[in-house]
This record gives sequence, C-alpha cells and structure tokens, in this order.
Amino acid sequence: MAEARVITDPYTDAANRLKTLTKVMTTKAAIAQTPKELVWTLNKAKLYRYIPVLPKEKRHPVPLLLVFALMNRPYILDLRPGHSFVEFMVNQGYDLYLLDWGAPGPEDKNLKFDDYVLDYMPRAIRKLKAISGSEEFSLLGWCIGAILTSIYAALRGDEGLRNLILLTAPLDFSNKQGLTFARWVDERYFDVEKMLATFGNMPGEMLDYGAKALKPVENYVGNYVKLWDKLDDPRMVEAWQAMNTWVTDNVPLAGGAFRQLVVDLYRSDKLMRGELVIRGERVDLSRIHANLLTVIAGDDHITPPCQSEPIMSKVSSADKELFHVKGGHIGIMAGSGAAKNTWPHIDGWLAPRSQ
Amino acid sequence: MGDEPTQDGKRFDSMEPWRGMRDVYMDAWAKTMVDMVNTEAYAQASGAMLDSYLTVSAPFREAIEKAMLKTLEHLAMPSRADFISIAERMTNIEMKLDDLDAKLDAMYALLAKPGSAPRTEARQVPQPAKKKAKAKPTKRGKK
Repeated sequence: MAEARVITDPYTDAANRLKTLTKVMTTKAAIAQTPKELVWTLNKAKLYRYIPVLPKEKRHPVPLLLVFALMNRPYILDLRPGHSFVEFMVNQGYDLYLLDWGAPGPEDKNLKFDDYVLDYMPRAIRKLKAISGSEEFSLLGWCIGAILTSIYAALRGDEGLRNLILLTAPLDFSNKQGLTFARWVDERYFDVEKMLATFGNMPGEMLDYGAKALKPVENYVGNYVKLWDKLDDPRMVEAWQAMNTWVTDNVPLAGGAFRQLVVDLYRSDKLMRGELVIRGERVDLSRIHANLLTVIAGDDHITPPCQSEPIMSKVSSADKELFHVKGGHIGIMAGSGAAKNTWPHIDGWLAPRSQ
Repeated sequence: MGDEPTQDGKRFDSMEPWRGMRDVYMDAWAKTMVDMVNTEAYAQASGAMLDSYLTVSAPFREAIEKAMLKTLEHLAMPSRADFISIAERMTNIEMKLDDLDAKLDAMYALLAKPGSAPRTEARQVPQPAKKKAKAKPTKRGKK
C-alpha cells in the first residue's frame, strides 16, 4: 500500500500541477472588480468614478483622482477583490476617480505630454469637479502618471489642487550611471526617430521587454519557477495569475510622449533643470504649492529612489512628506505588504487633508 | 518513502535540497545578468541589434505599405491614412463637444442655485416688457 502510494502520488501531483499551470498560463484572472461608472471620455481616455460605499456624510469631501502611467493598464490599482487599493480607498470614504489613458492608436502617434497635461487632464478634472461638487481635489500619480501630475501641478496647480501624491516618480534624470534606461536610450546607441518612423507609437511589447530586461532572470525564469513552487497554494496561484494578467496586458506609448520621455527627460533632464517647455509654458516645479506626499520604493529598479527624492527640495509646498517603503516599483502598491504599509500610510496622510 | 511524514508532522520533500541549490544558482545568475545589462557594451549591442532590425525591415515594410495603398486605391477604398485623418478630426470634435458640455453644465449649475433663477429671468426679460405683462390682466379685467 505504502509503496503504491509512493509510486502514484508523484504522478498525480505532477498531473494536477500541470493542470493548474496550464489553466493559470492560458486564462486571464478576473481583475478590476470594484464597481465603477464611466463618467467622461475623450478619444481613448476614460474617467471612471467608483461607486461610494459610505453615506455622503461619512465621506471625505475632497475627491481623489488616480492617474496611472501611459504604458500600462491602470487596473493594477484595482487588481482583485480583497487586494485592491481602489477598494481600500473607497471603503475609507474617498470619492474616488480613475483616469484610464487607454491604448493609443496610429492616429495618436503625435500625442505628447503637452496634450495629456493641458487637454486631457484639465477636462477630466473639470468633469470630476462637476460631479463631486467640490472645487478642490487631490491627485495621485504613479510612475509616468507622476510625471504628468507633477507637470500639471506646476502649470495648473492653482485650479483647485489641494493634495499631490507621487508614487515612484521618475522626475530626476541627472544620475546617468544609476539609470539603466538612461544608458540604453543614450543617443549613441538608440535612434528614437528611426524607431518612431517605423512604428509610430512605441510598441507595448518593446516597452515590456525593456522593463523585464532590467532583471532578466527574475522576470523570464524566476517568475515561473516561483509559480511552479507555489502551485499547491491556491491563494498564491490566484495572486500570481492576477499579476501575470496585468503584466502581459501591454499598451503602446504614444510616439510624441515617448520622444519627450527619451529626449527631454532621460537624455536632457529638462524637468528637474526647469527647462521643460509644455506648449510654450516653462515647467517650474517651485510653482507646486499643494500638500505633497512622495512615496519611494527602496528596491525599485525601474525608478530608483534617486529619481524621486530631489523633488522635495524643488517644490514650494509648506506641507510635504517623503515616505520610504520596502519593495519594488509595483510591489509597494500591489504586493502582499501593500495593504499593511503603503495603503494605510497614504490614507493616514490624505484623510486629514481631505476635510 | 519520499513523502512520509517526519516526526514534526511535515512531509519530507526529497526535492528540497535540489531546490536550495537551484535558488543559490539562480541568485548568482540573476546578479550576473543584472550587472551585464548595466554595461555600456550591452547598451551598445542591443542598440546595434535594434538598429539593424529597423534598417533591414524598412524596405519590406515600405513595399508592403505601397502595395496596400495601390490596392486600396484601385478598389476605391479608404486607406489607413484616411482613417487616421478622420480619427484625428473626431478627437478635435470630441474636445469641442466636451467644452460645450462643460459650458452647459455650468449654465445648469447657475440656474439650479437657489435664488438664481428669478435673477436670471429678471436679467433676460427687459423691464418694459415686464410692465406690459403686468398691465395686461388689469386691462382685461376691466373689459
């Protein structure tokens, strides 16, 4: 009996594991489940309002707008029920909005930061104000979204922006030796014009390759080895599948914005040097007066801390805080520790400033 | 044998030592690779590979695009460029509509404010007309 069990169990185990592996690798996880309504659209951009769960008198009067990066889907903020920043914030009583940039098509290849910051964001915010009835609002920008929100705060911050939260914000590009991306897009090696002449927009697959190639073994091998080791743990498998669904859902980056990111920021560090010009207006970070919370991931290999810290000395905000969290670029908001560290800290900082 | 429970209740896993070795090897491999992708040589090599791909693929791509354009012209069908042009115009129209929508929202908001409606009427209706309107019932009543 015992011998028979020894012979059959490994095979049954392996068969079950393979079955689970196939399912995980070939199906998409149910993501972005928090109830929301579409309240505004422009071109591919959409503004969602999350359905509040608390009565109005218990909600914070100042609404919060989430602005994610241009080249990834924003549902990382609402990954899966029970593990969603959006769900957490709605439960804490925030009137929460999400700006989804969508996927640019060939007709959007000339879209630049100028368009996103001065055409799309002000219109979305106008709608947010009309719906919420509040003239003031808070902005949370993550990654490239933090670049856009910083530029917005510097150019249009006097239009009701009360609180600004920047997550892993790539704003300072002066430390070329510390930035692998800066080395890769150096003008000696990378011809941005040739790339955009070929593709129009920067393809999502290439951006994905670039992000993964920073840590090739972890992303191309270790990630799957980790899954194989944890295949018997349904909770781990569910978490892995949700994250994999997001990671493989790539979005191209509009050609004009990609050119600005490479030429104006990675190569010339124009934003931090005060030389970035957006539709004729110079972006001066010292014009940011909103309350500022900058969240930095200690182990971030995409946006190292040296890119986010310097903004603290540039802004004119009287109320500002730098918050260091252990974790990676995505892990600080979507990892297993996010619900214990990052989310409560953001809520603790924002709640008294949203009254 | 291999999966018999041990004294502390856990199942003995004969693969555990192998896994440990694997993890140590992978850590070392990962560090080596991270160091490698951070070099100038890697940046130069990947840039050269990408450049040669773009250079080699360009003539084929252009030929396909030209052939497609001619085919569509012969079939009297719109090309990709036509669709792009229409999509760009649509976005401009959308922006104008959005601005109009916002203006309408603002007007509705003004009208909905308590006490604003009578004032708006007062501004819109000229004073003489108001007097006439008041006078009419009196005249009719007299008649």
